[in-house]
Amino acid sequence: MTTLFVSDLHLSYRRPEKIALFKRLMTGPAVKADALYILGDLFDDFWIGCDDDHPPNQEVMSILRDYSANSATQLFIMRGNRDFHLNQEFANATGCTLIEDPTAIMLDDKRVLLMHGDTLCTDDVKYQKWRRFITHPIIKWIYFIMPLSLRTKISRDVRGYAAEAVQKKAPEIIDVTETAVLDTLKNFGVETLIHGHTHRQARHEIKFNNTQATRFVLGEWFEQDCVLVHDKTTFRFERVDDYIKECKLTR
Amino acid sequence: MKVLLTTTLGEITLELNSEKAPKTVENFLAYVESGHFDGTIFHRVIKDFMVQGGGMDKDMNSKSTRDSIQNEANNGLANEYGSIAMARTSDPHSASAQFFINTNDNAFLDFSSETQDGWGYCVFGKVVDGIEVVISIEEKPTTTRNGHQDVPEETVEIEKAAILEEE
Repeated sequence: MTTLFVSDLHLSYRRPEKIALFKRLMTGPAVKADALYILGDLFDDFWIGCDDDHPPNQEVMSILRDYSANSATQLFIMRGNRDFHLNQEFANATGCTLIEDPTAIMLDDKRVLLMHGDTLCTDDVKYQKWRRFITHPIIKWIYFIMPLSLRTKISRDVRGYAAEAVQKKAPEIIDVTETAVLDTLKNFGVETLIHGHTHRQARHEIKFNNTQATRFVLGEWFEQDCVLVHDKTTFRFERVDDYIKECKLTR
Repeated sequence: MKVLLTTTLGEITLELNSEKAPKTVENFLAYVESGHFDGTIFHRVIKDFMVQGGGMDKDMNSKSTRDSIQNEANNGLANEYGSIAMARTSDPHSASAQFFINTNDNAFLDFSSETQDGWGYCVFGKVVDGIEVVISIEEKPTTTRNGHQDVPEETVEIEKAAILEEE
């Protein structure tokens, strides 16, 4: 039983090599996995709707649609901060199941918590405020009533703001806080947490109250060449390209 | 001091430890006596972890509460199987009415230090009768409702909470 976890793909028309690798993953090892979890930021540019023709939206949706049609793998997608607005229409069009942030799943009879990771950056107070606003159901509802042209205009402004804001922030703010991580582990009663968002790929062993917990941070999928594979009861980080080649060899 | 919870799945008897958690027990009893818990549900249920309730009605609306209380988790009581503890937010002293019953030995929820991360969750009693009812709650299939995860599909309501007269 193989489960794959990736996040922060940031697929963009500006980087065709990313989309090419994504296609190889989705027509290669992903087809043979039992489940694939994409934990947010599938898109680089702020996602504004299924009707958006701005590349690579339609191409990515088509890759996912073909994947769902051609493989028995369960595909789960979590919203990230670049794709807060992924909706049921997107899920229907691609054959994926949208999952909430956070979501607990069972792996080897143990609960594992999946998150995008942005909600753990609690020192970034400004961002958390913005996030509460943008993910509010009423705001989402208003957003999708707006015509595509208006959504496009707003998203351009948001993209510009976000890029600038990230550059100005201190690195300490942008990482997760230990308090938020411990709180989350306790609140959900899990010993394993998997998230992305910070692009700081690592496996952290956390000891607290006589408990051993593990936090896997998924790297930026392309730049850090990262997929987390779970099979035969263990987790391991693999380089995407190597994993694709490895899967071809074992066919 | 004992409290009887009459739920839609059966009765649960709690024995409260006012010696080790005086403020917490006092607070809990006040909610019992005011009828606050009557009509609330177990809204968050995770098998092999805990069942949580006492805060929302069956439409998933939060009932209003009094001021939050000081955390007394540094009382030596452990979050063992069958113990009852106060739920709270990440603020260590934010507990008000919601409680949870541990359905596992959840040592990681215990007090370790007086820091934000170390405060833990205050245990103030244990289930002395009706643990099989707690088990049946824990095993209920769950769903997401009104943005809340792990909600039992079939509503588990606390019909009445009452202080048991000493024999």
